[in-house]
Amino acid sequence: MDATHLPEVTAAGVIIKAVLILAVIAAIAGFGTYIERKILAFMQRRYGPQHVGPYGLLQLVADGIKLFTKEDIIPQHANKIIFAVAPVITAATAFIALAAVPVFPDFTIPFIDVYVPSIASDINIGILFVLGMMAAGLYGPLLAGMAQANKWGIIGSARTAIQFLSYEVVTGLSILAPIMMVGSLSFVDFNDYQADGTWLVVYQPVAFILFLIAGFAETNRTPFDLLEHEAEIISGYVTEYSGMRWGLFFIGEYANMITIGVIASVVFLGGYNDFWIFPGWLMIIGKIAFSFFFMLWVRAAWPHVRPDQLMWLCWKVLMPLAVVNVVITGIVIMLVQ
Amino acid sequence: MYEFVAFYIFAIATTILFLITVMSKNVLYSMTSLAAGMVLISGLFFLLGADFLGVVQLIVYVGAVMALYSFAMMFFDATKDVKEKHGNSTLVFLLGGLMALVFVVMFSAPIIGENIQALYPVGLAENLGVSGNAQDVGLVLFTKYLVPFEVAALMLLVAMIAGIILAGKKMDYSLTECEASDEELQKEIKKEEA
Amino acid sequence: MSLEQFKNRNVGTQNYKTLDLDHTPVTGMGQFKQVVSRTFKPELFVGLWVTFREMINALFRGKMHTTQYPFEKLPISPRYRAIHDMLRLLESGHYRCIGCGLCEKICISNCITMDTQYDENQRKEVSEYTINFGRCIFCGYCAEVCPELAIVHGPRYETASEQRASFSLFEDMLTPIDQLNLQQEYQGFGAISPNADENIKKTPLAY
Repeated sequence: MDATHLPEVTAAGVIIKAVLILAVIAAIAGFGTYIERKILAFMQRRYGPQHVGPYGLLQLVADGIKLFTKEDIIPQHANKIIFAVAPVITAATAFIALAAVPVFPDFTIPFIDVYVPSIASDINIGILFVLGMMAAGLYGPLLAGMAQANKWGIIGSARTAIQFLSYEVVTGLSILAPIMMVGSLSFVDFNDYQADGTWLVVYQPVAFILFLIAGFAETNRTPFDLLEHEAEIISGYVTEYSGMRWGLFFIGEYANMITIGVIASVVFLGGYNDFWIFPGWLMIIGKIAFSFFFMLWVRAAWPHVRPDQLMWLCWKVLMPLAVVNVVITGIVIMLVQ
Repeated sequence: MYEFVAFYIFAIATTILFLITVMSKNVLYSMTSLAAGMVLISGLFFLLGADFLGVVQLIVYVGAVMALYSFAMMFFDATKDVKEKHGNSTLVFLLGGLMALVFVVMFSAPIIGENIQALYPVGLAENLGVSGNAQDVGLVLFTKYLVPFEVAALMLLVAMIAGIILAGKKMDYSLTECEASDEELQKEIKKEEA
Repeated sequence: MSLEQFKNRNVGTQNYKTLDLDHTPVTGMGQFKQVVSRTFKPELFVGLWVTFREMINALFRGKMHTTQYPFEKLPISPRYRAIHDMLRLLESGHYRCIGCGLCEKICISNCITMDTQYDENQRKEVSEYTINFGRCIFCGYCAEVCPELAIVHGPRYETASEQRASFSLFEDMLTPIDQLNLQQEYQGFGAISPNADENIKKTPLAY
């Protein structure tokens, strides 16, 4: 669609969009727990939740009721304000990151004639904003761990700091090569660049793999979920949390998974362009769903790594590879032009 | 109108948060409010139309610098208050007040004299046919400020190498894969030092 | 692996497969080679494929592994020592217990209480017999010492109930008279389960 023919974005449209993102992504994030339990169960030849509602679909509601009605426990020596704020930071940064990301197709609400855009805030540096917001998301686990007066929490937040800081480098450097090719930081430009059907992953396979690995680390998913490694540090930064505060961490984590899925789909996997007979909106939903599934799949298949292996992987393998990739991309771009 | 209101909200909130940073005796409060203040400053950048700088503020200050601070704070008991030493409070107030006064004069004088102007305003790159905030920054960085930019890069490289040398003295020992006992390790390290 | 092979305990004659564990590389070049080979070997994808295959097996080939416990139950071994059963004589239907009191004597947690009296034929009959399951540790001495194989351990392992007394009376443990034909003779503690051969599996190391 030509950008000049789009209706004007009004404040009302943006607010509706924001509410829509909040409601739908929060619901999907909650539903993600059901999907995760089901898929992990199938991969271990179990049934998973199946007694609440048909196929256990209402498990989400049951869990929600449980989380909301649980006693809200704040440990005696914890710093109460920070302890209460930390889960909100995680959830909020996860959702703010989604503000600059294209989620759902754009549409106009009939009768009141309000245009709801595809991106809530179409700033032309969308990718950087999302990465920055995910970087700010490290304060959730960090403050949670430090505020709860618990040794496991401290270890968890120390791991948060090193893991997020290190892997931000890899995320940034790996996504730099596609940015150089496209010459823009806007998600829309990335999508248009791949409109001819050639996905960027064809040109940048190394960057794609690096981004995926770093994405696992940034969303705290299994091969790298050292922040709350049950076998080593109880639950890391969420050791003392219970009820809805814990639920907010959970929602934040799943929203971050969706964000990583969106970035991977738009930047590397062709975005929301039509493909063969499938319309664009179906393609993007399919890609995000696959990347979500892939994260669960990996969790079922692969073991954790040790913290020293994690750092080794980041600084001795991934970061040099990313730098080499950026340099080679630069040289090739220079030669082609 | 919106921008006006937003500016004052951001400005007041930033000031309050940084005040908390200075006044609070609790490490956690100071750290959190400093980080939050940095986020709000990036809000000011967004208001000015400098999207790129705003995001860089987010990534660099909030994501990296403050995270390093807080990593250092792990070595303290964050739930306890810090005992501060107030030696000569009159002197402190005097010096602090003078500093503040100097800053206010420094920044308000050109505004009063009305000879303040942006050398490289936002939208600079549009004259060259490319629009975008990142392009603006790039244009300025690689023309007028090329030398300071490269010198800063060199300085960071020097700092990084120095850091690696300082921290990496015993890096050839892998403590996790080592099969020797602690005592043997200690002996080995002592031998190395001697 | 056949059963004979499995039962062969003679060290040295079995077909053990030794894994080829190459040692940790010492030189920088060796470490680099190891990293490269680990990076480009599709070992990680083998793991992904295994889990995916198991998901397909579970979903479409009916190889779901779950026993949905309250609805379906696995057969338990005859060695299993759960709530006691009092058996009857098959010919007369009379209970086997002769009231000797050995089980009461040997019970190490003092949970068996019995009282006996002479009936009209001057035979000992059990007038009262209870086991306090709050104390019973299911050691099995009572069943072992019983000269008549009257008290044995049965397969009733679901011992959650509103009252402990629900299990502990003589009449509750006694085989119901109308189910006498279903009464199983106790195999003894050393008895192997009837499906023992089926349960022999390869150790997980083999794959």
